Amino acid sequence: MSITAPEPKANMGQPIPRYDAAAKVTGKAQYAADVPLVNPAYACLVTSSIAKGRIDGFDMTAAKQVRGVIDIVTHENAEQLKEAKLFSNGGYAGTTIQPLKSADVAHTGQIVAVVVAETFEAAQQAAYAMKVNYTAAMPSATFDSAGTTSAPAKGQLAQFKEDPKVGDFAKAFNDAEIKVSAAYETPPQHHNPMELFATSCVWLGDSLTIYEPSQYVYGLKNGVAEQLGIDADKVRVINAYVGGAFGSKGSMTPRTAIIASIARRLGRPVKLVATRAQGFTIATFRAETRHEIQIGARRDGHLTALRHESWEVSSRPDPYAVGGTKTTTRLYACPNIESRVSIVRADRNTPGFMRSPPEVPYMFALESAMDELAVALNMDPVELRRVNDTAKEPISGKPYTSRSLMACYDQGARAFEWEKRSPQPKSMTEGDWLIGYGCATSCYPTQMAPAAARVRLQRDGRVRVEIAGQEIGNGAYTVIGQAAAEKLGVPVEKVSVFIGDSDLPPAPVAGGSNSTASTCSTVIKVCEQVRQKLFEALTSNESLTNEAKGTVGMGQTPSTPSASNDRPLDLERAFDALGVSVVEEYGEWKPEGAPMDSFQAMYKGQVRMVGGSEMKDKIAYAFGAEFVEVRVNKWTHEIRVPRLVGAFAAGHIMNPRTARSQLMGGLIWGMSSALHEATELDERYARYVNDNLADYLVPVNADVSDVDVILVAEQDDHINPAGVKGIGELGNVGTNAAVCNAIFHATGQRLRKLPVRLEKLEI
Amino acid sequence: MTNQKDFPAGPGFNRRTFIGAAAGTAVAPIVAKAAGASGGPAATSDPSLPVDVSLDINSATRSLRIDARTTLLDALREHTGLTGSKKGCDHGQCGACTVLINGRRVLSCLTLAVVAQGQRIVTIEGLAEDGELHPMQQAFVDQDAFQCGYCTPGQIMSGIACVREGHAGSDDAIREYMSGNICRCAAYPNIVAAVRQAARAMSDEQKG
Ligand code: FES
Ligand code: FES
Repeated sequence: MSITAPEPKANMGQPIPRYDAAAKVTGKAQYAADVPLVNPAYACLVTSSIAKGRIDGFDMTAAKQVRGVIDIVTHENAEQLKEAKLFSNGGYAGTTIQPLKSADVAHTGQIVAVVVAETFEAAQQAAYAMKVNYTAAMPSATFDSAGTTSAPAKGQLAQFKEDPKVGDFAKAFNDAEIKVSAAYETPPQHHNPMELFATSCVWLGDSLTIYEPSQYVYGLKNGVAEQLGIDADKVRVINAYVGGAFGSKGSMTPRTAIIASIARRLGRPVKLVATRAQGFTIATFRAETRHEIQIGARRDGHLTALRHESWEVSSRPDPYAVGGTKTTTRLYACPNIESRVSIVRADRNTPGFMRSPPEVPYMFALESAMDELAVALNMDPVELRRVNDTAKEPISGKPYTSRSLMACYDQGARAFEWEKRSPQPKSMTEGDWLIGYGCATSCYPTQMAPAAARVRLQRDGRVRVEIAGQEIGNGAYTVIGQAAAEKLGVPVEKVSVFIGDSDLPPAPVAGGSNSTASTCSTVIKVCEQVRQKLFEALTSNESLTNEAKGTVGMGQTPSTPSASNDRPLDLERAFDALGVSVVEEYGEWKPEGAPMDSFQAMYKGQVRMVGGSEMKDKIAYAFGAEFVEVRVNKWTHEIRVPRLVGAFAAGHIMNPRTARSQLMGGLIWGMSSALHEATELDERYARYVNDNLADYLVPVNADVSDVDVILVAEQDDHINPAGVKGIGELGNVGTNAAVCNAIFHATGQRLRKLPVRLEKLEI
Repeated sequence: MTNQKDFPAGPGFNRRTFIGAAAGTAVAPIVAKAAGASGGPAATSDPSLPVDVSLDINSATRSLRIDARTTLLDALREHTGLTGSKKGCDHGQCGACTVLINGRRVLSCLTLAVVAQGQRIVTIEGLAEDGELHPMQQAFVDQDAFQCGYCTPGQIMSGIACVREGHAGSDDAIREYMSGNICRCAAYPNIVAAVRQAARAMSDEQKG
């Protein structure tokens, strides 16, 4: 087995190649903008050049003269769409700022007009020719800008329930033997999936089909229906493949209903492919954050006091915050904890979730501070984590369903050869290069949400699975196919998987790393229904206890925990007994503790996510330990990362091959968050400066050397039927801190503001 | 991308063939303008008037009537149904649109379709023969060299050129010469493994 397809350890499935591999290497995989349309009109967006103010009017003379222009839509003539509520407020949208509603401008890059033409080229030319006259006001760009307001997150954001707190922080910190106080800062970042924000809308009578990359086809379908004021059953969203998302395609953006409305008015399909630059402002982003951390500890390393206060930027109308204190206050044993999150409102587009939304910025702060504490204690940073490891979260004492943090540290440290690290900063060099080793903890909440699936089994063993999940590079096709094959005992080649279509049974948003846990648990449950039907046919006279049901199976080596008790079943005999050739079952699954209205909400495209720190009597997280080697050139200050090692434990691993790839991508994302990525803001105009792939730095191949992913075996029977914790966002948590900790070790300079670029080094 | 000296002499795709191929078509003025010549009378004619273009794509001739400003990428995607080549930026910054022209890797978003006339264009759809994957495609499957798959057609076309250019001799060389293709899923180590595997298979093929 090759490195890219690791040998499965205990409680891991087979590393089979991706279900969609052939489609993806031949160009046959059809992404939204690839779907052919009959006689489409092409739309181009015109976006605002000011951040705050009003549109006084348009000069469209030149634009209208462009050959092939069909329509120019502005707030003066656009259909008045219904309001879009924020997803975190029971709605579907990533922003409540609705373009083309009024003359008001709320942020730069807001859509102010849509030009539609016979060709893409004409639409582009006319969009460039549009003149917009504004009365501009002075915008507030970010922290410290005049005119911003700041208020606690608690009370303004339904999803932010509490500022976790326990014991008496002030007293404990005052009495602490060793103290660390430091402030940290993370920049705005944009997801920049390779696939652009595209939307094609096709009406057939009063039914609408939308081809759009979405992490949540059910949410988009319901959201657009609401905005258009039509029945959700009349809307269908299709995306068999999504070209990367990372959170950017999770909630509805204003463009979709606008394009749908224009297509209806023109009586013709309309296709939009927004530009890369427009993607920076017509969707969400990861907002900049600030943190103050205070840690008090005993000389032996035990934490006695922890305080984490943070500020996040959001837009004027929307109180969005990621609020990562729910994680950072529960990670280590500590009797006295205090926290607070505030939202600072500025004239910006509304931020949203981006891969590990809370953990990337908040764990950067905590895991940097832990390293500073290790230095103050003169203690090995791995040992500091060991001393403070805990089986119960300290805020309310709930037990972790499983926690393999130190197993990750030990296996990671061994692979990295951490013992070769000499503890003193600046003590390891090679020629002109200063070498540093750093580490940090990674963690991500285990989340699940209700889903439904349809499974059809034929007499010849062929299986068809339908579930409206999304393939965003997470391996959804593959793991769903594996779950069904294992549960039904058929070879995986016999399973066809249908996802990415809102006409299929609902699945939750492919976000919060819940996808595999939710969809596979559901598919397993529905496969059980199929087995049950067949079993009953074979043993029609006997009544079955639940335990007996669990032992009916059709053979093949199972890897999901719930399939491991299954026993072969004679398929042909069972079908003969039933007198049919096809068995098809539809079923719904919801995680333990899901609220009463979960299923109703599910069909309305609203997710009732369960898990993480918000479970009743337990807490569920996946863990990892990350080790980084940096090399800093003494003369040029160039920073290189020759090695990244991450060891991760996340319950059942459906497929070690796809899991490794996802975690590897995550580690590279984490490195990028430390050294590359930042959206630069021109604070005078509250405007993004580097809104393109040449200036917004993401890693390229030459930036990445050795990346070693270790899958640590872990079994957790307390989370969901699939036993899966979710890994899509685990890999890039803590990496930024590990990189900065390594830079400190190499140079003796502590960097508390991301990203770290060579000009910030003063060695 | 790489400079001229890196490429062996062969069926050229240079500025001269660019202009030579375009001369005599309705779009000559645009090309001349781009090359810096002052606009003659034709330069004022409406550039949005469609022109007839004939392209040799994957060994088939495609005749199109398109806006003269249509990029090769948009010609492929919007006018020939070949949507395997992807648009990730439209600005030559990401590599998702990479195709081969006369064997060399070219960013189709920075290439006007009219200029690609008379050249041999190969896209991702033209690689597999009789349903059998090209060694580079097979290597991408074997090494799990993608996640979302959106950058993959461009990576594969670039990978083939990288091997043929002689830039797949070491992992460092592969990393360097594959750095024009961004993979936001960051499958980079697997892409290196795939190019390495395919380089071996492609040289075996040549020998055998
Ligand atoms: S689309 Fe051509 S380089 Fe990005
Ligand atoms: S596989 Fe997603 S961008 Fe490369």
